Amino acid sequence: MSTLALELPNRRLISADLLKLRKRRGLVLVTALLTIGVVVIVNAVSETLHLIDPMKHGPVGGVTMLGHISWAIAALAAVAAAIVGALAGSGDSDAGVYRELAVTGRSRLSLFLSRIPAALAFVVPFVAVAYALEAGASVVFAGFHPQPSTYLLTVTGLWVMLSAVFYFLLAYGLASVTGSRAYSIGIVLAFRLAVTPLIAQIASLGVVRELLPGVALDNLTPTALGTAARQGPTIGMSVAATAAVLVVWAAAALVVGGWRDTSRDT
Amino acid sequence: MQLELRLPAAGTHANGGPRRLVLGLPPLFFGALAEGRRLRLSEEGRFIPQAQKFRLAPDAHVGVAAYRRGMTTSPNNLVVETEGLTKRFGHRTVVDDVRLAVPRGVAFGYLGPNGAGKTTLIRTLLGLTSASDGEMRLLGLPVPARRAEALARVGAIVEEPRFHGHLTGRENLEIVAAARGRKAYELIDSSLEEVGLTARADDRVKTYSLGMRQRLGIARCLIADPELLILDEPMNGLDPAGILEFRGFVRSFVGRGRTIVLSSHLLDEVEKTCDYIAIVDQGKIVVQGAIADLQANGRPSALIETGETARTRTLVAAHPAVELVSDNGNGLRVTLRDVDALPDLNRRLVDAGLDVYRLEPIKPSLEQRFLEVTTRLENAA
Repeated sequence: MSTLALELPNRRLISADLLKLRKRRGLVLVTALLTIGVVVIVNAVSETLHLIDPMKHGPVGGVTMLGHISWAIAALAAVAAAIVGALAGSGDSDAGVYRELAVTGRSRLSLFLSRIPAALAFVVPFVAVAYALEAGASVVFAGFHPQPSTYLLTVTGLWVMLSAVFYFLLAYGLASVTGSRAYSIGIVLAFRLAVTPLIAQIASLGVVRELLPGVALDNLTPTALGTAARQGPTIGMSVAATAAVLVVWAAAALVVGGWRDTSRDT
Repeated sequence: MQLELRLPAAGTHANGGPRRLVLGLPPLFFGALAEGRRLRLSEEGRFIPQAQKFRLAPDAHVGVAAYRRGMTTSPNNLVVETEGLTKRFGHRTVVDDVRLAVPRGVAFGYLGPNGAGKTTLIRTLLGLTSASDGEMRLLGLPVPARRAEALARVGAIVEEPRFHGHLTGRENLEIVAAARGRKAYELIDSSLEEVGLTARADDRVKTYSLGMRQRLGIARCLIADPELLILDEPMNGLDPAGILEFRGFVRSFVGRGRTIVLSSHLLDEVEKTCDYIAIVDQGKIVVQGAIADLQANGRPSALIETGETARTRTLVAAHPAVELVSDNGNGLRVTLRDVDALPDLNRRLVDAGLDVYRLEPIKPSLEQRFLEVTTRLENAA
């Protein structure tokens, strides 16, 4: 086998990494609950309430509801992605199997890289299905609300997916550094759900707040959704600055995680 | 001298690379090549110049056998070589200037007390931690420079074998096979069969006993079709039947011309399982060689029982041929510089009026040799 072939992940390696994730029943259940489950439950409850008392509860479809529920999907898909990322990054080490893989002669970089597409192949379908259900509900149950356009549905879907993928990469890199699933999930969730909103509120920090990935992701919220899909204050950023912030954070997480993964004593 | 031949596409290496053969051959071989003579491989597995027959080096058959399996051999027929290998953690030297030479086709025991640096040496050899100093070669390839190539033909278990408990035994092997290459997948079933786990292959590993995990660990090594197996304390957790079975596996594996290096603190097991041995103490190899040779080189000793142990001890210790006297149950164990001194020792005891109930020379054992060369003896003295 050539040196290059040993450095690059192949299809079998990716499939093997996917197998490790999809065979974890608990992980499948939690991921499904945080993505598809949330959409089904929120829509089912809202539609039931609407049917019982249409004067008090509006229809679950339309642009505004799409914004609200997409925000929820993005937030919870990020949680699910962080869990999957942390597990993918630390699973082999936690189980003590990393050493067994390292002694095969396969490069550690290859082992590190192969887990990324595998974990994305695991988590992305859940997010995609969850959003597809919501997109369908926003059209079918729009009632008297304006229906979202195809363009809005598409960019909202991409925004939801970007949020999930970004927090996956962050958690994956962090877990590769710490080697601990629990710490990585805790740190990413605290950063996503508490630290980012808190710092974003401190106006005196000015443009420094733009360095937060949560702020950058907020900036990418489709404008047609209005405030329905926004969590914090509006901090104006250019698309290029937004993209740069997200790319630098993700790249930093992967580079540091990759370096730690390939250089640690096992 | 060393010659490397890249062979045509009759097949590929187990890990996808080209077939390759490196032989240590006499100068005549190179003379034949220099003269432009063509070579062929005979039915007996010998390289023969078409115009002239010649004799191969005595160990060349090993290389040819290896070639038939699509492997590479070291020209000097050593599968593990280290020179001045040292590993330090801070100021603590765990592996100290180790010069190890493991011949091909043997079971090699790396024997030492707990904390002697056995696992660290194995981890260093496998590239799981970097060496502080020294050189290493695995299967004739320098590591870490050509670590990936070397490890592709090495199976290893470091400490206890670990698995993903939520996956089945077969799935765990598939994961490692994915890292090793296509050929490894094809060997999963036969490897499971070889370790007797076929019936439980589709059960989750978390339901396996420790012994079954050890066997699954061996199966995981076997899917590499390894030339060299490196096993760290492989007898841990095995019941007596499992140990017997493991011993049989080692002999069968070695019988196929392959090599096993196993580390252990279980002297008895190493003696029963291995052909060659290195005894390590405090990170240093204190002695290595064939077990039979080491036993032969051990100092002779004898068990002595008389009616008065205290007087006997004084008399025996005063004899010029006696090196060490220690208690041994009801009597004394005497280490001698010269076994021929035993009749004289007996005479002195009888002349002193002692009733000698037992005076039994002991065949030098590996245990005795082990104790002689490790610091345990110093501590006990």
